[in-house]
Amino acid sequence: MSIMGPSTDLHTVKVKVFCAAGLILMIFLAAASLFTGRYPLSFGALLAGDEMQRRVFFTLRVSRTAAGLVGGFALGTAGFVYQTVFSNPLASPDVIGVSSGASAGAAVGILFFSGAFAVTAWAFVGALAAVGLALALSFLDRTGRHGTIVLAGIAVHSLAQTALMCLKLTADPERELASIEYWIMGSLNGISGYSVGGNLILCLVCAAFLFLLHRQILLLSGDEGEARMLGVPVGRMRLLVLLVSTLAVACIISMSGLISFVGLLAPHGARMLTGKSSAGTMLLGGILGAILLMGADILARSLWTAELPVSIFTSLLGAPFLIYLIIRGRRGP
Amino acid sequence: MKMKKVLSMSLAMTLALSLTAPGWGKEAKAAETAYPVTVTDQAGREVTIEEEPQSLVSGYYISTSLLIALDLDEKLVGIEAKADSRPIYSLSAPQLLDLPNVGSAKVFDLEGCAALEPDLVILPLKLQDAAKTLEELGIDVLLVNPEDQGLLEEMTELIGTATNTQAQAQALLDFSSAQEERLSEALAEADKPLVYLAGNSDFLSTAGEAMYQSDMIRMAGGANAASEITDTYWANVSYEQVLAWDPQYIILASDASYTPQDVLEDPNLEGCAAVEEGNVYQIPGNAEAWDSPVPSGILGAVWLSSLLHPQECPQEEGQAVMDEYYGTFYGFTYSES
Repeated sequence: MSIMGPSTDLHTVKVKVFCAAGLILMIFLAAASLFTGRYPLSFGALLAGDEMQRRVFFTLRVSRTAAGLVGGFALGTAGFVYQTVFSNPLASPDVIGVSSGASAGAAVGILFFSGAFAVTAWAFVGALAAVGLALALSFLDRTGRHGTIVLAGIAVHSLAQTALMCLKLTADPERELASIEYWIMGSLNGISGYSVGGNLILCLVCAAFLFLLHRQILLLSGDEGEARMLGVPVGRMRLLVLLVSTLAVACIISMSGLISFVGLLAPHGARMLTGKSSAGTMLLGGILGAILLMGADILARSLWTAELPVSIFTSLLGAPFLIYLIIRGRRGP
Repeated sequence: MKMKKVLSMSLAMTLALSLTAPGWGKEAKAAETAYPVTVTDQAGREVTIEEEPQSLVSGYYISTSLLIALDLDEKLVGIEAKADSRPIYSLSAPQLLDLPNVGSAKVFDLEGCAALEPDLVILPLKLQDAAKTLEELGIDVLLVNPEDQGLLEEMTELIGTATNTQAQAQALLDFSSAQEERLSEALAEADKPLVYLAGNSDFLSTAGEAMYQSDMIRMAGGANAASEITDTYWANVSYEQVLAWDPQYIILASDASYTPQDVLEDPNLEGCAAVEEGNVYQIPGNAEAWDSPVPSGILGAVWLSSLLHPQECPQEEGQAVMDEYYGTFYGFTYSES
């Protein structure tokens, strides 16, 4: 990768075209999401100021759409950061145990506390505890090797899975176990304007921060010596961007439950489409993440009379797209 | 209490038999199980029981509750885990709490169960593998699956036959059908208010038309708001779906981890008729969870009918039915529990 690449890629026509097309599709899906759901909303009644219609629209639909948009974007961006920093196309926030930490945290919330807020708060605590532990373990290796955090993450992941298993074992099968299982499947179902605000704002701040650091993030994927020569404090920067992107992911999954495939597929797709790893690719990764999550959520709430887990559709929509890209013969970095 | 229970049971049986059979002495004789008896359990397995079982293990709270109602609690030598979470045991047969536990459907203690050397083990359908192993050890096992009213009745008859308590089992079934009939007659002309039944795990999980809980709403003279859902297990819906249904009543499952107050204060439900009218209630769980297919399940419909139709089904009448049921089959007075 050329170190001049990041500054010039965004201006290439190809990236611009893909980003513009992605943006149009994203806006179209956001509009579709605003008018898809079980409550019969109508433009006329909304404009006439019908109280119930306004409440459903602003409290439920707008929040859910915002969660899909911002959440998908953040998952895509965080996935890009992980894949770039680890120079590994299979890397994702799950690598350092954030998902399993959030699951164990959510299980604690379900078993020992009550209310949706407690579950979200504990999932968030679980996710951050897992990341904190992985980072602390990685510090024990003073050689600062690249792969230490991955190994630490695998250890934390296993620990969190064990904790989750113990919690499931004590759970009541009719009530708590069902809640834990459904939480793990992931859904934007319970999201409303009363619960979503703080998480989404924090998520947006994290995403903005990552974009501000895009140059350093891209340099981290190259030669470490070269990055140091350009004034990037490699070790600290790597930890910082991983922490920020994990925080963004924790914000989303703590309120939605686990959402599979978006963080892996969106940046992958972006790289395959643009053929390069650049700031434009990072933006496209975020856009593809938002498209995938919103599209999946629209299907999850409209295909069946009951709500379906969103991860079913992120995988169903994402896998054929990935296969298409592979068949198309494009290569990643 | 035990004496009172035996007397009540004898009265109930006499009443049931005199109502159903003109020559009741003959019927009573026919109701005796002739051993060896071969029964088909709810997994479709044929099980031959050589002699009347004298020691029983029940690995499922629904069958344990039934065994108490059939006056077989003295024969129990082991029961399922977490017995202390079932108030009916401490109210009716507190000695059960001291029995060894054989685990749950998640983790069944095969060796522990075998060590009790029971004559008959009753397990939920989920434990088919454990049943096979126990069978190989020479222990008779019945698998039961009381997932709906029909299957619950079938299970009651099955266990009644296997344990030689057919008359008691019939009295129990007759009680439920008599109440169902009473409700049906009383509510024939009544309106059917829309009821949203919120599940144990989450307010947004609900029971569709195919579920046992939907029958309870129907028998109580209500209409299930979620009748369009065809799932056979708790289905998740969204807040806007609940608002679109706009139920007149919201009923919380008896083991729900949240309260009617939580629902009334949930800002996402503002504007919903049930919340605006304050019609949010939780099914009582003082004795048993009536919204699950337990033998006392009919009492859920009795309780709900008093709530939905206080004119046609006064609360005092419902209370009397509950007292009669628990007094007859479980030996305690419900309203004093």
